[in-house]
Amino acid sequence: MRNSGAVLILSFIAKLISQAAGVSAPGKPRLTSCRSPEKETFTCWWEPGDDGGLPTTYALYYHLENSETIYECPDYRTAGDNSCFFNKNDTSLWVNYNITVVATNALGKNISDPVEVDVAYIVQPNTPENVTAVVVDEDQGPFVRVSWEKPRTADTRSGWITLQYQLRVKQKKDKEWEEYDAGMQKYYNVFSLHPDKEFMVQVRCKPDHGFWSEWTQTTYVKMPDYIPRERSLWIMITIFSVFIVLILTWTLNVKRNSVKLCLLPPVPGPKIKGFDKQLLKSGKSEEVFNSLVIQGFPPTIDYDDLLVEYLEVYDNEEQELVLDSKDLSEDCMKSKSPSDCDSGRGSCDSRTLLLEKCMVGREGSRSDQHQYSQHGETSWASTESSECQGLEPGSPEFSDGRVKTWPVVFSSPQPHHHYQVEAVKPVYHSVPEILNHSSPHAMPANYQNLQHQDIPQQEGRFGKPACRHSQSYTHGLDTPAPGVSPSRSLEYVEVQRINPENMLLLRPLSDQNREPEGSDYAGEDYSKVKELTSNNILLLQRDTSYQCADGYSQAGQCTTQQPPHPCKPVIYQSHSGMPQEGMRVMGNGYVDTTVLMPSY
Amino acid sequence: MSRSLKQVAVLLVALLCLDPHSRVSSAPICTHGPSGCHVPSLADLFDRVIQHSARMHSVSNDLHSEFEQYFLPSKNHIGKIYRKCHTSNILTPNGKENAQKLAREELTEVILKLLMAWRDPLFQLHQSMADQQDFNSFSSNKALEMGDMAHELRKGVEKVAEKMRVLGMLGNSVTGLSAAEAMLPLSESGEAMSDYELLYCFRRDSNKVQNYLKILKCRIVPEHDC
Repeated sequence: MRNSGAVLILSFIAKLISQAAGVSAPGKPRLTSCRSPEKETFTCWWEPGDDGGLPTTYALYYHLENSETIYECPDYRTAGDNSCFFNKNDTSLWVNYNITVVATNALGKNISDPVEVDVAYIVQPNTPENVTAVVVDEDQGPFVRVSWEKPRTADTRSGWITLQYQLRVKQKKDKEWEEYDAGMQKYYNVFSLHPDKEFMVQVRCKPDHGFWSEWTQTTYVKMPDYIPRERSLWIMITIFSVFIVLILTWTLNVKRNSVKLCLLPPVPGPKIKGFDKQLLKSGKSEEVFNSLVIQGFPPTIDYDDLLVEYLEVYDNEEQELVLDSKDLSEDCMKSKSPSDCDSGRGSCDSRTLLLEKCMVGREGSRSDQHQYSQHGETSWASTESSECQGLEPGSPEFSDGRVKTWPVVFSSPQPHHHYQVEAVKPVYHSVPEILNHSSPHAMPANYQNLQHQDIPQQEGRFGKPACRHSQSYTHGLDTPAPGVSPSRSLEYVEVQRINPENMLLLRPLSDQNREPEGSDYAGEDYSKVKELTSNNILLLQRDTSYQCADGYSQAGQCTTQQPPHPCKPVIYQSHSGMPQEGMRVMGNGYVDTTVLMPSY
Repeated sequence: MSRSLKQVAVLLVALLCLDPHSRVSSAPICTHGPSGCHVPSLADLFDRVIQHSARMHSVSNDLHSEFEQYFLPSKNHIGKIYRKCHTSNILTPNGKENAQKLAREELTEVILKLLMAWRDPLFQLHQSMADQQDFNSFSSNKALEMGDMAHELRKGVEKVAEKMRVLGMLGNSVTGLSAAEAMLPLSESGEAMSDYELLYCFRRDSNKVQNYLKILKCRIVPEHDC
């Protein structure tokens, strides 16, 4: 009792002391690997654990499967430190070895985990030997023949162990090795190595069921400098190109028609309507060309018929034509030509709607108003010709002798070359042109508006064409048609006033003095309304009574000019849809207007 | 018309039946020796047999590792109890010298014994693997393949032995294996072995067979690969 107690206490104290001194039992060793190089012997290595500060001894014990007999390692030295070598006598194949390592030191021991080993499956041969690499020069180019020998320990002669080999090649600068499998042979030819370069070669081997050996030491070989004659490549290229040429030729042959079409397109024959090629071939050109002749072309129009009656311009001393510019507000005419208001032409305020505008702002500018009527024909023409060039579109210029164009009036784009050519009596359009697009109510009443509307449109035409337009006739879009029968009684109307709705109110001038009709140019001339077109365009009939050379018979064919009464433009104001009534209202077919001339 | 046809048919049948030479029978192709066809040499036979055994071993190796990987997590087999393989009764050389010490006949006999001992167990193995849901069809097919290979290998080795006997290399001491040699895979305790154990044992035995055959070949026909 006392002894055991003393022993316990002593051991406890010893432990404490040893712990204080830093010594302890050894740590657990560990078997790292067991390998057999030739399937006849094998070696096991272990890793010692912590030795606990004291000298530790290691012992390896094993027992075979299904046997309880424990044996200790026969050889600790041959294979180095911490190893156990099993020689041939101690090695049994196809038997499991149960191996443990025991570490012992003064304070205790420690046993490693057991490891089961079957020698047949832990074979790792030694590296192959005598690796040689030589350059063999041949017609196709030099190559390297690598040869080696089996590891000395492996017994392949008896068939006990079967090895297969592997080699790898690379240049010094390359990262990756090029690996080749050599099977069971002991040589290998390496082709396609770059000339004039140095290569590194290594070999290793493996049994049929086992581990690969280590790579051998590097063997260096230098390739000679040679020019590869890639004959085979050229042959292949030639054959390939010939093949392609053949295919192309055949394709072309098959598609020769379309190729011909592509390269030599057929000359297109004449494609004239009515043109008969056969006739041409027959050689009778007359017949051919006759077929081309279209009856009725070019349209023969009696241009004379198309001449709008000239509205005689009232000639005055001052031959200033003050035309309104687009900027009516500015211009309300500072025409200097005096207005002749005695002639019974009515108030000069009847000149135009410009007037109306002017009236709004300037009562006194009447005299300045557009005195188109005061222009003599020649002066007109001259003025027109001289001034028009200098006219800026839309610029309200006015001065003596300047011509201002009526924008609306000039909305008719047709140049009237006749006019200039013949220098006929100029015609003023005092009434704004009423186009189809003008509002139905607006006819002349909206002259203002029209002007404004059309001004921007016609701005571009304010140059010469505009000047021409000044002489052009406003035209209804409809062709002139035989108009009103001249059988109505004639009556003059006078613009009485323009009511706020932009309507000209006319009143007959039957009570006024009448000019003898047709007495002279300067007299008032009235034109008969021929027709009222759909859009409130009054077509004036040529007055055959005045100077009609052809007589009365044909309305609309006289070329007499009927200068409108400048002072009395009658702007027919049409109520919507009831033009006829309006006319009737007027009582007669005569309308003193300059604007509504048939167009051509 | 039909009557004439009938007569023709009857005549044909009679001819076929009566003519003794018209019986179809198989005739050996190489009846006339080397001139008739190519008779494989002993070396060729050995090569074929060795290749066959190598294939068989690799299949068994695959199956075993597959089994180990999926069904047995611990690799170190700690605490595993190995039962003896049923073929442990057969004395097999466990080293090179021992194998070389054996005479050719004995070596051949050992090989044949081993192969014979595995005929039924392999069949059983395949059956049990096919029955179990754990194995996929691929594995059970491998087991079946193994069984077939073992069978064919045995036949091949028998042919080699026959050839050697003909050539006088083998004495007449090689006896035909009796049915008693076919052992049931029963362990000492009488219990049937598990699939894993069977696989383990067969893997080992196929390795033995391969090795023995190689030794035999290099001893008898050492021309190439030796």
